[in-house]
Amino acid sequence: MADPLIALVLLGLLLLCLAAGLWVAISLGVVALVALLAFSNAPAGLVLATTLWGHSHSWALTALPLFILMGEILLRSRLSNDMFSGLAPWLGRAPGRLLHVNVFGCAIFAAVSGSSAATAATIGRMSVPELTERGYPQSLILGTLAGSATLGLLIPPSIILIVYGVATEQSIARLFIAGVLPGVMLITLFAGYVAVRAWMNPELIPEEARQFSFVERIKASRNLIPVALLIIGVIGSIYTGLASPTDAAALGVVLATLLAWLSGGFSWKLFMDALLSATRTSCMIAFILLGAAYLSVAMGFTGLPRNLATWIADMNLSAPMLLFALTIFFIILGCFLDGISVVVLTTSIIMPMIAAVGIDPLWFGIYLVVVVEMSQITPPVGFNLFVIQGMTGINILEVAKAAFPFFLLLLLGVALIAVFPQIVTYLPELMSR
Amino acid sequence: MRRFLNATYKAAGMFSAFLILAICLLISTQIVLNGMGRLMPGMLPSTIPSYADFAGFMLAGATFLAMAYTLRSGGHIRVNLVMQHLSPRLVILAEGVTLLIASAFVAFALYFCGALVWESLHYGDVSNGIIPVPLWIPQLAMTFGMGLLLVALLHTLFDLITTGSSVLNTPDEV
Repeated sequence: MADPLIALVLLGLLLLCLAAGLWVAISLGVVALVALLAFSNAPAGLVLATTLWGHSHSWALTALPLFILMGEILLRSRLSNDMFSGLAPWLGRAPGRLLHVNVFGCAIFAAVSGSSAATAATIGRMSVPELTERGYPQSLILGTLAGSATLGLLIPPSIILIVYGVATEQSIARLFIAGVLPGVMLITLFAGYVAVRAWMNPELIPEEARQFSFVERIKASRNLIPVALLIIGVIGSIYTGLASPTDAAALGVVLATLLAWLSGGFSWKLFMDALLSATRTSCMIAFILLGAAYLSVAMGFTGLPRNLATWIADMNLSAPMLLFALTIFFIILGCFLDGISVVVLTTSIIMPMIAAVGIDPLWFGIYLVVVVEMSQITPPVGFNLFVIQGMTGINILEVAKAAFPFFLLLLLGVALIAVFPQIVTYLPELMSR
Repeated sequence: MRRFLNATYKAAGMFSAFLILAICLLISTQIVLNGMGRLMPGMLPSTIPSYADFAGFMLAGATFLAMAYTLRSGGHIRVNLVMQHLSPRLVILAEGVTLLIASAFVAFALYFCGALVWESLHYGDVSNGIIPVPLWIPQLAMTFGMGLLLVALLHTLFDLITTGSSVLNTPDEV
């Protein structure tokens, strides 16, 4: 069979497995197995066992359960309840007023949790009822929440960047640091959009009656300050090279537990809940990574990605053209698949193509995450949309409509990092090697 | 039988959780020792030998031992967009087929994981670190985890056939 035909057959098989509701990790494995048995001479079973073993005990991957656990602990602490009351006094006079609580609350929470859906759920639980009661327009409440929660994927420590780093053997520390400036850029874009909307239609935004003094503000956010220090500590120790991401994650868990305990309301039962939830999530992600690793190895034996890369190189497709095509492809893929699956599929099949046209894999990781962020707020499969629908009972299409401006802002973000790649590469290049 | 199986999944899941906690404590201890070594050199040993190897092996154990527990609590993700729009009978059919395929794949993986353990035992393979760990020990945890996952898949298939209702939307509370 010719290569393009083989590729189509395998792609068809993958889509069939996924559509039938076969678990993502096992779908990847089944396709890899078929590829090995039918289109290569490699011993499929032996390769499977060595891949399962070889990819399950790496030091870099050890950061995954630990960062998930840190997020789960902070999620169950009082921090999530204090986010609204802690931020609101600071933002009452900004153009757009308390809508910024959604943006900044999500940004802070994103830094601790690394999951987009958890960010939407935690921030939204407090902010949606509060903002609705004060008379803010519904579309802006839902839009800022759905849009800003996607930051959870990018702002370090990000689970999805660990997945990308492990799958492509990129340094996770450098990926984390590379995500900082693009994260700040997106926060600025989101906050800027809210401010512009508020200036254009001042009647949309209700007045804030109460003014707070500086001391009152500090007092209101006293529970947030240790958390902010924790985040700065984690990112800072990775940036300065003082700790590897895995070290930082372990310390992060210990400090998060201490913080949760000291701020009160944290119990042994909540800790066990967090631990078991982290165990399940990390098992699920590791299983997908293993399926993807098997698929990568299988693809290596069939030589498909290499040939695809040569084919792309022969077409003399420029890097921007390829990126443009890939962006469209990922947006469509993201409408149906979750972010982690999109990332592992990409790394199994598309990475040689990226290398062939000379795109920096570090930059590509950040680009990929921002594109995957968009897929969190596109129907029919957008995890943030599901979460917000579940929370408010408002139809998913309605939420998607409210989030659409933020989809466009993310697209603008992708364009900006494509035109100015320094936004991504500047900080990692400063890091000590 | 059913209760015994559910208890086994849960116990393996708890053990995974314990392993994750142990990784966290191991690495934290290493960091503290490292810091102490800089402040007061020579008072305590500044590294735990092969701690990265141990962390990795515990991670592998945590991942594989939690497989069955995660499956039964609905933690492994899948796409149910298409399934939601089919008739209930088709859903059950598709469910049965996917469980069969998954069981076959996991059984295949289990067989070769077993072969890997046997090979490690036979050749006496050990890890490369300062403390040589016989590889069959962590590999046995992997094999056991895959075995338990196979049991959980077959258990779910059995549930599907006997109750005749989809397990897609009703993950078991293990």
